[in-house]
Amino acid sequence: MKNDVIVVGGGHAGCEAALACARMGVETLLATIRRGDIARMPCNPAIGGLAKGQLVREIDALGGEMGLCIDHAGIQFRMLNRSKGPAVWSPRAQADKVAYHERMMSAIEAEENIELLETEIIGLVMTGGVVTAVMTADRGELQAKKVILALGTFPNGLMHIGEKQIPGGREGEPPSRGLSDWLSGAGLERERLKTGTPPRLVKVSIDFSRCEVQPGDEEPSPFSFRTGRLVVEQVPCHITWTGEKTHAIINANIYRAPLFSGQIRGAGPRYCPSIEDKVVRFSEKPRHQIFLEPEGRDSEEIYVNGLSTSLPAEVQLEMVRSVPGLEGAEIARYGYAIEYDFFPPHQIHSTLESRKIAGLYFAGQVNGTSGYEEAAAQGLVAGINAALALHGRGTFVPGRSEAYIGVLIDDLVTKEIREPYRMFTSRAEYRLSLRQDNADERLLRYAVRFGLLPRGQWERMTEARKSVQRARRRLEAESVTAGDAGTMRAARLLQRPGVSLDDVESLLAEGPLALGKRERESLEIEQKYRGYIRRQGRSAEKLKRMERRRIPEDFPYGEIKALSSEAREKLEKYRPETLGKAARLAGVRIADVSILMVFLEKAGAWRDGDDG
Amino acid sequence: MQGDTIVALSTPPGSSGIAVIRISGPDASGILESMTPGAMAWKQRTLYNRVLRDGDGEMLDDVVAAVFHGPNSYTGEDAVEISCHGSMQVVSAIIEESIRAGARLAEPGEFTRRAYLSGKMDLAQAEAVADLIASETRLQTRVALEHLEGGLSKKVNAIEERLRSKLALVEASIDFPEEDIETYTVADLAAVSDETRREISELLESEVAGGKLRRGIRITITGPRNAGKSSLYNALLGEERAIVSPIPGTTRDVLRERIHIGGFTYHLEDTAGLAETVCEIESEGMRKGREAACAADLVLFVVDAGEGWTGGALEELEAHAGRNRIVVVNKTDLVPGGGETADCSPAGEVRTVDVSAVTGEGLGRLREKIFEFTANGEVSSVSRERIALNIRQGMALRRAEEALERLGRELGMNSPAEILSLEIREALDACGEVTGRSAAEDILGEIFSNFCIGK
Ligand SMILES: Cc1cc2nc3c(=O)[nH]c(=O)nc-3n(C[C@H](O)[C@H](O)[C@H](O)COP(=O)(O)OP(=O)(O)OC[C@H]3O[C@@H](n4cnc5c(N)ncnc54)[C@H](O)[C@@H]3O)c2cc1C
Ligand SMILES: Nc1nc2c(ncn2[C@@H]2O[C@H](COP(=O)(O)OP(=O)(O)O)[C@@H](O)[C@H]2O)c(=O)[nH]1
Ligand SMILES: [Mg+2]
Repeated sequence: MKNDVIVVGGGHAGCEAALACARMGVETLLATIRRGDIARMPCNPAIGGLAKGQLVREIDALGGEMGLCIDHAGIQFRMLNRSKGPAVWSPRAQADKVAYHERMMSAIEAEENIELLETEIIGLVMTGGVVTAVMTADRGELQAKKVILALGTFPNGLMHIGEKQIPGGREGEPPSRGLSDWLSGAGLERERLKTGTPPRLVKVSIDFSRCEVQPGDEEPSPFSFRTGRLVVEQVPCHITWTGEKTHAIINANIYRAPLFSGQIRGAGPRYCPSIEDKVVRFSEKPRHQIFLEPEGRDSEEIYVNGLSTSLPAEVQLEMVRSVPGLEGAEIARYGYAIEYDFFPPHQIHSTLESRKIAGLYFAGQVNGTSGYEEAAAQGLVAGINAALALHGRGTFVPGRSEAYIGVLIDDLVTKEIREPYRMFTSRAEYRLSLRQDNADERLLRYAVRFGLLPRGQWERMTEARKSVQRARRRLEAESVTAGDAGTMRAARLLQRPGVSLDDVESLLAEGPLALGKRERESLEIEQKYRGYIRRQGRSAEKLKRMERRRIPEDFPYGEIKALSSEAREKLEKYRPETLGKAARLAGVRIADVSILMVFLEKAGAWRDGDDG
Repeated sequence: MQGDTIVALSTPPGSSGIAVIRISGPDASGILESMTPGAMAWKQRTLYNRVLRDGDGEMLDDVVAAVFHGPNSYTGEDAVEISCHGSMQVVSAIIEESIRAGARLAEPGEFTRRAYLSGKMDLAQAEAVADLIASETRLQTRVALEHLEGGLSKKVNAIEERLRSKLALVEASIDFPEEDIETYTVADLAAVSDETRREISELLESEVAGGKLRRGIRITITGPRNAGKSSLYNALLGEERAIVSPIPGTTRDVLRERIHIGGFTYHLEDTAGLAETVCEIESEGMRKGREAACAADLVLFVVDAGEGWTGGALEELEAHAGRNRIVVVNKTDLVPGGGETADCSPAGEVRTVDVSAVTGEGLGRLREKIFEFTANGEVSSVSRERIALNIRQGMALRRAEEALERLGRELGMNSPAEILSLEIREALDACGEVTGRSAAEDILGEIFSNFCIGK
């Protein structure tokens, strides 16, 4: 049996990777430990949120599956940050975890080019620095031209509940052992990170009347550009608070917390601390907010967002019961922390291909990220690049000014990962342009070029975008007379504070703009931000120019005496692909970049890469 | 190949008091034209006498300028050379106007790098070009560091800290809307923005326009007590400024005056004499004197021709090893031929001038030596760096001021957080150009350490 691509791991990264490959016409084998694992959500039952929502919209514009899955499985939809500016509006939805898994499963089963196989991969086979096959635990070698590793938290996973340590990839599942060790043996660096999850409570044991209700948006907005109107009966979440009593229980038992006893060594995310961490570090805070989120529409279980913990089971119960509304709560499953191996991503190219082992790609948690959306985005990029490489069709590396996905990948290959990496809008210097409303404008053309979307779908999406462009042209061309403001271009008037697209449209001599609701909103946002975005244009241009200047992989940094020694060290470790990436490495100064330019010229290495 | 146009002072004023400013890049001649409204077309490689004006039509200077079309220029790109009067004010004003017209200040070694990249130099020169960039960068860093010891950096640092903590609040409100945290209020931000803008305006007044940043080249006179330092100081100034007396230890504070030699401005400093056993006030004077000498661009080390290198003078001179210095042998009217000093003059000491502060003998030669230093040597690069630094800091502070002005407007219009963030970041970025660090980086770290984030 010889496959073009083997994807290892059926999590959020692996599923998108396999689907992208298959849609690009590649025979794909998706190997995962258990079929039931497909697109499982081991932590909170939600997709999207700040910056993550934008990622999902981008994945969708690139033909990915995540947006469609959550539109199908969502039980509560909210557009976060509605009270702020539209550049930072972010869709978020509570998911029915089972429905999400099933929806992804059916997408994979529907794909003719994907074969799903239940097996654990324990090693790889390499010939002359190129990966040629994977080694299964139970059926020998499987040959492949490209291999994508999307192993999640499984590599040497170790779970902690109080003093108890349980090897496993996540609750109820075994770890993956052999593969991580094989990779380490092949000379790849690996390190450890940690994350955690709160307990799940039995729904009927909670007194919701003592909690605040948090409903969904009245008019839910879908994630996918391909979903029409969402018709969904929404389920509320609830809010309650910890108090002094809770904190006293935690403090009394803090010596039993693996995080503080030295039992856990991997670094955890600062933005996602456990409750014990919060109570210790911010002892002056009298209470911490807790969200009670259903694990599914009909699920018996409630996820206790805000109470992530690895304290011993009996302490968890005592702690939970000190919270208003949870006095009689039963724990269905205990919270835990998990440590796992990851492979620091200075070892990959921005195509996500390993620098050391050709044909091998890394996506998701194994690169040191955290989050379903971050994982899915990488899976998609790895899948696209593996398929492009098979067809000899170049690479796909979106830029920082083009997509959050671009920011994500660029950060991975230029920054040191000291904690699980999660996306935030503040990481994107061009966030005014990288909005959820225009992901299709930014990325759809790639999906079309790579064949990631069926014709009917991309034609409809393209038509929607074209309608925005036509309307934009009209705003720029037509003059309107607005009372005291005088006569001016419609676009100018729209940029004024307090003037809406509706106001302007009513003044247009040639009649209303023919636009759908979503397209309207997008046009209005874009016009409102225009001045600011234009101001950023020059630096975005410069960024792109620097990204076009490629540096050969084997560039002899060691021979260049004029470089500062700190710069030389960083450059040798990261081996940036472009001058732009070199400049973004910590410790590389402007002068070092200038010096590099001189030597690149000497090496005759100026090559203008295609910008995608 | 290079998209943008750069400008820099290429040679500081020479003996004629003329400085040369170069502009290179696609907009070079456009920028020159914008400063010479109404002038006829420029023929390339031809010298024209022209009046340069700023955007408001104010005269900047009467200059000689020439236009070169690529590849027939030093850099191989379209280029302009402007010879102007050498005062710091004129040079700065022309460079700043070029920047307003679309150029940017050149990075270290950038002219040479461009010349190299456009094939004007052969490949074997890459090494040399790289070294040049590295050494100019070191110089820039040195000048900037020396400068940062002053009050400016402390003040800008404080501004950065304040803006950074406000940015963290704004960013937290965007990225963590569901958290139970206090973020910014419009009133507080408006107050901070107003106050900060005022502070920056004051800095611009006092530090930039007021000339502290536009200081000239520093020359410090040092040497043993009673060698005639104050006498030399007065002689070079042409006036009696320092008290001259036969009682050793008369000068206790650092005196400073401006002198001009060949179009250059110098700050000449007289310091307390160096001695082994001294009282407390005197030792304080010596400390100040040493400090001044350390920061100087050029040290004039005065010895008494009659006394020679006795009493630790030689050790003191050694303390200035590696620094730009001229040994001045004074009181030659008393000991014809330089007396003992000529023989024991430290090995390899090339710059020794015999003078008499009383008769004025040798002062002309001393002035020439000082000038040589400035026009050709390291001092000239230092002074060029200073002008560049000065312009860079002035522009950066103005950029910060403008960003805060816009921030104030946006706050007034109740603009959303991401727009406020844009302006605060711009202001921080600009401050970072003054202090040399980027304060907007790792704003997430700031958020995580100050707020309890995380569900
Ligand atoms: C306890 C816990 C808490 C978390 N907390 C958070 C959080 O607070 N916030 C957050 O954003 N994210 C959190 N996450 C992370 C989030 O779940 C992941 O980021 C995301 O699921 C990663 O997707 P992935 O595709 O990389 O891997 P996963 O979704 O983990 O999928 C990995 C898949 O690979 C399979 N696999 C592994 N090894 C092999 C092998 N050798 N052979 C075959 N198949 C293999 C596994 O069976 C699994 O199906 C948490 C995860 C866990 C487990
Ligand atoms: N004859 C002569 N006397 C000088 C000369 N320069 C300084 N003196 C005398 O030396 C004494 C000390 O001079 P002063 O300038 O105060 O020395 P300082 O301590 O180094 O500042 C004074 O009495 C001066 O008049 C010189 O060139 N010739
Ligand atoms: Mg004196």
